[in-house]
Amino acid sequence: MADLGVDIPGLSMSNPLMLASGIQGGSAAALHRVSASGAGGLVSKSIGPIPREMYPGPVCVEAMDSVILNAMGLPNPGADKFAEVVKGEEFAKPMLVSIFGGDAEGYVEVAEKMANAGASCLELNLSCPHAKPGSRALIIGQQPELIREVVAAVKGAVDIPVYAKLSPNTTNIVVEAEAALSAGADGLALINTVSAIEVDPFAGRPVIGNLLCGMSGPAIRPIAQRKVAEISLAMRRGEIPEVPILGIGGITTGLDVARFIMLGASAVQIGSALVWGDVDVFAQIESELAEFMAQNGYPDLESMRGIALDSLEGLS
Amino acid sequence: MTLRASPTNRPQGIDLEALADGCCDRLAASYASRGMIASPTPVPLIEVQHEAGGVVTLWVQVPPEMVSDYNPGQYFMCWNPYDATGGMSRPNYHSEKPYSVGDVKIDRSGVDEGIAADTGGEGRALLGFTVKDLGRQSGELTRMKAGDWLAIRGPFGTSFPRMSSGDRLLLVSGGIGSTPMHMAARDGRRKLGDNLKIDAIMGFRNEAECHFISRMEALCDSLTITTDDGSSGTPGFPTGPLPNLLSGVGEGDREEGGSGRTVLLTCGPEPMMKAVLQMAVDAGVECYAAMERYLPCSVAMCGLCMVGDKLTCVDGPVMEGGWLLQQDDFGLSH
Repeated sequence: MADLGVDIPGLSMSNPLMLASGIQGGSAAALHRVSASGAGGLVSKSIGPIPREMYPGPVCVEAMDSVILNAMGLPNPGADKFAEVVKGEEFAKPMLVSIFGGDAEGYVEVAEKMANAGASCLELNLSCPHAKPGSRALIIGQQPELIREVVAAVKGAVDIPVYAKLSPNTTNIVVEAEAALSAGADGLALINTVSAIEVDPFAGRPVIGNLLCGMSGPAIRPIAQRKVAEISLAMRRGEIPEVPILGIGGITTGLDVARFIMLGASAVQIGSALVWGDVDVFAQIESELAEFMAQNGYPDLESMRGIALDSLEGLS
Repeated sequence: MTLRASPTNRPQGIDLEALADGCCDRLAASYASRGMIASPTPVPLIEVQHEAGGVVTLWVQVPPEMVSDYNPGQYFMCWNPYDATGGMSRPNYHSEKPYSVGDVKIDRSGVDEGIAADTGGEGRALLGFTVKDLGRQSGELTRMKAGDWLAIRGPFGTSFPRMSSGDRLLLVSGGIGSTPMHMAARDGRRKLGDNLKIDAIMGFRNEAECHFISRMEALCDSLTITTDDGSSGTPGFPTGPLPNLLSGVGEGDREEGGSGRTVLLTCGPEPMMKAVLQMAVDAGVECYAAMERYLPCSVAMCGLCMVGDKLTCVDGPVMEGGWLLQQDDFGLSH
């Protein structure tokens, strides 16, 4: 039986399958529900300084095979309310608390409240593409200077591990990774959703209430893998510090998990797959991964991690 | 801003029937590949039928298999795609919401009955969403006209348990909770004929809001109407006449050689459903409620429709009565 355990800063998990941020995890009840599944770890919804309501619907649709579009608008109960959840609830699985803010001060305010409540690690949502053009949430993840400012401010304020979640909607993701790592990030999570729009030709307007949306699902998995590979290769070449990577993007099977691990990820996050299988997908993917590893002679994740990068060595 | 895509602003007039046929083909293709309509798909309203004060049925044409496959209890997400156009500046405006099917019908008006048997002409299958003006979004829907777009996706969620020959169905509704109860009665009668006993109680606030009465009378062995203000039927809430239906459950059925299974279904305001389910549980009757919660995504993504440790969108909307009664957050007004 293969050992699926993962031990990275702030996260000691029985398997590498984490709930992705923004999916279900905004309340104690929802997080307990996911906790009771086969997931190895939890990621909360992105928590901001104050409560936020949902965007007008439709907020999340299966636009075509393998494509999920969403624009929820970062609905969350706010830092004070969620701090009570972090403090008062005992979840069966470790939780990465995702946070966001309008600027560095906003991130620090939420980070301190979560750390004081006992959070074991944070994920900085630097990249949510739902915000309208011109708003700061979009700009932070696309501007290395702002990434550096936010990560440095949070690292200066709290002692717990901080993972920076990167947007794929940039020219060269290694630049944003470098910005986060030079400011002290302990790990990277990637990718966030790919910015998108879909029009219904009969209605002659976008199908998402917010008009603009983010794309996820199996259709973006090769894009996510490419971003993970680019960052892993930069780490191998010594261009950026080597830290754990949480791979995210369209994972629906155990083989998909193996793909991300082989490109250098230490663990993965799963979101859109729940559209087709709810939280039951975790146990299913876990058993597929264990079977694949046993068949192929990989005793643990570390023995498999990064092996696909060997054939990419020649790339520069 | 003028939206050039709005049906009323098209450069040429639209043949509603031809457009409905085209949209129906589109639904059929989606339905064939996924067994559901996964993405909000606009269809023109064929007819808007007045039911009662503030209550209308929005009729849309769908592939016949969507009508025959539909299981009462399941819901569709309904959206007026022109209602949310200003939505970006209106956070917390829920422009797409879950609706139960209220009625279905086959319109054979265009079928030449003389050759229908040879050509397979089946008429047009219509799905009716019965909507009550209860707020901004549902109010917008009740003011729509024939030819307007309604974007639908679904069906989603759980359905009522299957009944068998000799069973007895007790249906208790409050207000627009009439819709899944009507579909449960219709489905049971269609599948089991006279071998299913159906007794229903429908509660309304007043006579002006009473709807589906003649349709339910035709389907049920007994129908009791209650109104809060006594303007029609029995004064008071549906819980008033309920003991009459619950007394002696099981005894009569066995005498008639039935299986003895009695199932109570309810849909309406949560405080009413809580009282109804408690009475059913006390009487030892198997019971289920069709739940409604603030339900933005319908696909287990947003996590905002929790009841206890379940999601209304995928674990519901049909939930078991005994379990619901144990949840602290069940039974409050929403």
